[in-house]
Amino acid sequence: MSDNVTITRTKSPVKRDGALRRLIGFIGADNLSLMFALVVLVLLVTVVSGWFGLSGGNRFFSWQNLWNSLAQAIVIVGLLAVGETVVIIAGALDISIGSVASVGSVVAASVLVGVGVGTRLASLLAGSVFFAVAAGIIAGALCGLINGLIVTQLRVNPTIATLGTLAAFAGFAFLLAPEGKPVGVLTQPAFTWLAQGRFLADAPIPPLGGTKWTGIPVLTVIFVIVALLIHILMTYTDFGRAIYAIGGNATAARLAGINLSRVRILMYMLSGGIAGLAGVLLTARTTSGNPINGTGLELQAITAVFLGGAATAGGKGTIFGTFLAVILVGVLNNGMNLLGFNTFVQRVALGFLLIAAVAISQGRQARAEHVRTRIAAQD
Amino acid sequence: MTMTSPAAAPRNPVSPPDAAASLPELRGTLKIRNVSKAFPNVQALADISLDIRPGEILAFIGENGAGKSTLLKIINGDYQPDTGTLSIDEQALSFSSPRDAHAAGIRVIYQEPEIVPGVDVAENIWIGELPKRMFLFSRLRLNEQVRRSLAEYGFENALPMNLLGDQLSSAQRQLVEIMRALKSGVQVLALDEPTSSLTDEEVDRLFTLVRRLRDEGVAIIYVSHRIREILRLCDRIAILRDGSLVAVKQASEVTEAEIVRLMVGRDLSEVFQRRPAGTDHEVLRVTDLHSNWHRGVSFHINAGEVVGFAGLVGAGRTELAKVIFGELTKTSGRVLVDGQEVSIHRPDEAIAKGIGFAPEDRKREGLVLVRSVLENASLAILRRLSRFHFVRGRLERSTVAGFVERLRVRTPSLDQEVGKLSGGNQQKVVLARWLAVKPKILILDEPTRGIDVGAKAEIYHFIDDLANQGLGIMFISSELPEILRLSDRIYVMQNGRITGELTGASATEEAVLGLAMADQLSALPTGAATPNREGSIL
Repeated sequence: MSDNVTITRTKSPVKRDGALRRLIGFIGADNLSLMFALVVLVLLVTVVSGWFGLSGGNRFFSWQNLWNSLAQAIVIVGLLAVGETVVIIAGALDISIGSVASVGSVVAASVLVGVGVGTRLASLLAGSVFFAVAAGIIAGALCGLINGLIVTQLRVNPTIATLGTLAAFAGFAFLLAPEGKPVGVLTQPAFTWLAQGRFLADAPIPPLGGTKWTGIPVLTVIFVIVALLIHILMTYTDFGRAIYAIGGNATAARLAGINLSRVRILMYMLSGGIAGLAGVLLTARTTSGNPINGTGLELQAITAVFLGGAATAGGKGTIFGTFLAVILVGVLNNGMNLLGFNTFVQRVALGFLLIAAVAISQGRQARAEHVRTRIAAQD
Repeated sequence: MTMTSPAAAPRNPVSPPDAAASLPELRGTLKIRNVSKAFPNVQALADISLDIRPGEILAFIGENGAGKSTLLKIINGDYQPDTGTLSIDEQALSFSSPRDAHAAGIRVIYQEPEIVPGVDVAENIWIGELPKRMFLFSRLRLNEQVRRSLAEYGFENALPMNLLGDQLSSAQRQLVEIMRALKSGVQVLALDEPTSSLTDEEVDRLFTLVRRLRDEGVAIIYVSHRIREILRLCDRIAILRDGSLVAVKQASEVTEAEIVRLMVGRDLSEVFQRRPAGTDHEVLRVTDLHSNWHRGVSFHINAGEVVGFAGLVGAGRTELAKVIFGELTKTSGRVLVDGQEVSIHRPDEAIAKGIGFAPEDRKREGLVLVRSVLENASLAILRRLSRFHFVRGRLERSTVAGFVERLRVRTPSLDQEVGKLSGGNQQKVVLARWLAVKPKILILDEPTRGIDVGAKAEIYHFIDDLANQGLGIMFISSELPEILRLSDRIYVMQNGRITGELTGASATEEAVLGLAMADQLSALPTGAATPNREGSIL
């Protein structure tokens, strides 16, 4: 053993810095800029809009708006985005989630009211909210399994594979619905509670912005719980580590003993299962299991993931970042609604937001690249 | 690319050649004075002072990390020095980009110059400054000009004008870059490792050109690892070590050994030599293995043994490692681990049988560059570190910290992105991963490639250490000296076969080379993945 070599410094410099540095390190610089963007956006909606003679901004901070409009609007896209984040971190893409949500929506409604494919199960399970929800999630996970098998066993590029299943599952959702018509669930209050229910509705909380405390929507709570669970999955489990490793360098991950196929199949099942849950909640919100419920949602979800800082090349990204991005997009839409912009303007804004997000992330990557080449230059 | 911007920072007009030369230095000498440059955690250059004189070829030589590249980048305006100055003829130079350096007559030719793929040689040379007439680009004039300048230096044949950028060889790309420099009146020309991908003939041609430019009064900087080449070509030699200039010698007054000693800071005799060891216990036996790359390979590795695998590039050594590790498939043959026949189809199965594999290409196959040291080092033992699939953070950190310390990985923290470490430290992270697995057999494919001498020595000690602890090590290397110094036994491969086994005194450079090239004329096995690169002997 030679002792004539420099002593290793393994202590993190972060530890020696102040609490603020540690906090920034914990939140992450990317997420910090998202938070900053969120604050700016809220100020734009509530304060700056007034300077330009736009009215409606003052309604932003009201219980009615925060809980009934904003917090509910973000849930479905938010759930899809959380599942999509996992896939994008792994360096892949799942475009089919909108259609998977439609499948989940129809399956849940069918099981609930005992029609269509649900008929046979109906005698056993009809009317059970639990089984309806479970059926929607399982249907989604099975769709994910199909995606995963196509990608890993047939070796089809993930984007192409899920583009194919986007179309296929959309059609499948219609086939599942009796005569292709929506399945109504109005008669099932226990189920629609998922969308209309409120937690803490009676809490003694003072009014805000001239509206009374409304309670926290069940939908929002479900979203936050799912996001938290997936955050834990990605941060603290071997599965999460494998996802990051595969996204960063699939060959290196395989040579380090990670079973790529297994992880990828599980990942698509996870993304599908979450999309199925989103479909279930769509059924509860729209009070019908409609085969077009999920159409087009994948684009909004993917937008949010990239806005949340996930690297287009994989290996980087956080659930928290996506969560913030979902809120950011929600506030943007909500604020424009309040200020009276029509939906076309909103779409334009959202499109440019996606481009801006990716442009910023590219700039950041270029800087990181610069650091790497600087270090390489010292070799 | 190089569009002229009128708003550019202060230009440095070249002083007229007839100006009074009252100074002892030659006119046009690039004076580097007290230049220092630091990066986070590294002092890349410390107080460098050096004259680069017209009509002279000055070599920069030093190990990886000695600061050659950083110095070149400062000269080229890629970096700005933290302290110190550059000047030519009293004119202080301050570059904010390579374009400023070009304007001052300074050009650095990097190994891979920027070439536009779909554009021919003439346009590539004149890119950004295409000759115009009445706003229209005149191909006729352009071709005429380029033809004339190529003819002037005798490159009509070496660099055919009708070739497009992506049809050019490395040598031709460099020529394009040199022609770019010449056309804009270069005063100081730096060449960064120009010969690393050239054939001997191309090297000769390049040297002729470089000498001619010197005689025309250009100041030339020549950066290379090849000491003999430097002694052949250069007039003076500047030796760098750890960011400092250790010596500047006249090429005629210095020997190869002296240069090495100055570069390394110690004598070569200190270089590592393993004492042969090994036990009788066979940890790995491969019998009559056939695959797309192999034709009946048989060998064994004992516990405590370092077994070298020598051969030419393309002999099938890397593929052999990958077949054993389950990354590539075999068509027939048996693999026994600890005397038990095993069937391995995937890397994770190999790991479960106690085999570790550190691949040749760290960046492409070894590491997840965008993730941390911690995550990379624990990647192969995640399951062992987890309880109910939850990674036990504290256990992971302490386990990895132990190996990182043992291997002396120089990193500011375990959370540092691996891509931001130097090559030697990246390799150590790969090794840390495999040590953590506690394998019986460790396959190391070119573990010291692209690593500086200091880190190499550490890795040698380390391999020696591991073998002494009872691991069987399959050591693939294309560097003959290291394979001879480190191996207890050596298998030599050629064209997918093992052509010989050497031990003890019979293991000499000549013997290995003889076996590696014994059957050069026979065709490659069908389906050979890696083409036999000419000239890259061992």
